[in-house]
Amino acid sequence: MMSEQNFIYAILAMCGVMIAVKVIPILFCKGKIKNNFIKSFLEYVPFAVLTSMIIPEIFHSTSSVISATIGFIAAIILAYVGQSLVVVALSTTLIVFIAEQIMQWFR
Amino acid sequence: MENCTSLAKPKGFMKGFKDGMPIALGYIPITIACAIMAIKAGLSIGVSELLGSALYTSTGQKAAIDLLKGGETSIIMYMITLFVINCRYVLFSISIAQRFEKDMKPWQKILFGILNTDEIFGFAMKEKGALSPSYLIGLGTSPYIGFFIGTTIGSLVTDLLPVSVSSALGIILFAMFIAIIVPAAKESKSIRFVVFIALVLSVVMECIPAIKAYLDASWIIIICAIVSSLVGAWLFPIKEEGEDIVL
Repeated sequence: MMSEQNFIYAILAMCGVMIAVKVIPILFCKGKIKNNFIKSFLEYVPFAVLTSMIIPEIFHSTSSVISATIGFIAAIILAYVGQSLVVVALSTTLIVFIAEQIMQWFR
Repeated sequence: MENCTSLAKPKGFMKGFKDGMPIALGYIPITIACAIMAIKAGLSIGVSELLGSALYTSTGQKAAIDLLKGGETSIIMYMITLFVINCRYVLFSISIAQRFEKDMKPWQKILFGILNTDEIFGFAMKEKGALSPSYLIGLGTSPYIGFFIGTTIGSLVTDLLPVSVSSALGIILFAMFIAIIVPAAKESKSIRFVVFIALVLSVVMECIPAIKAYLDASWIIIICAIVSSLVGAWLFPIKEEGEDIVL
């Protein structure tokens, strides 16, 4: 495992990447991206990143696969019916909490 | 702030600051969860605070903590991961720059660029007409404060939280990711396709022991994301000209 000292360097390096990615295009790009392929690629990346971050890790994100699965399904339903980001995040957490409490009774 | 009194610029810093408040409130629970993750990974309160305020991205923070926990020691790997996760800002920056007032100064662009986030971008693009620099900076300031407050609360309370609460909080970031993906996938066939490919690839790579043995989780994420986005861009290139980038 990296020492905390080295992790601080990693944080500063990542901060540099963040600033570069956010600031350089805003300062220097005057026109629009003409290339549809690049434009499409950049538009799709966030959704692809988030998907591969969720699957399969979400199922290990709570103390049991069952409560995590309940949370996973709840979040999809809540988001599908158009709830806002904060509502989805907080309600899912609450649902997982309740599910885990109920599961304890059956143990 | 002097712009508040100018008739030509009715939307000044304070208006932006107020408009950013709902975003700020939304960041608080998410950043609390991020900070709890950071502390649980063994970071001190100060470093957790630095991680939150220097990166200013919950997704990136989670990825960085995962790398740390996975034993990653190469700083280059941390940088590549953050770059891939955040290269979308190239797109955001370019579309929002079209809406800046002509006289926006370089330092204002730099400051707004740093303060910009997915939610701020989404909000600002919905506003009509040119966006004044002071309004944009105001809009960027309150969410950053919310982010900082959440990070601080999370870093301080980790040890006080009952196990049942921190277990449930483990899912909050994933729920947020789902809340970003699902509405977009519902709207757009091409995004549905990309999400599906990423999902299949991710499951396949997870199931092949040889891949898991040689590749870190973050490489798997990067490869899945790049391959599925490339396939998506190849099969479903966005046709329309212009700046219609919807989150």
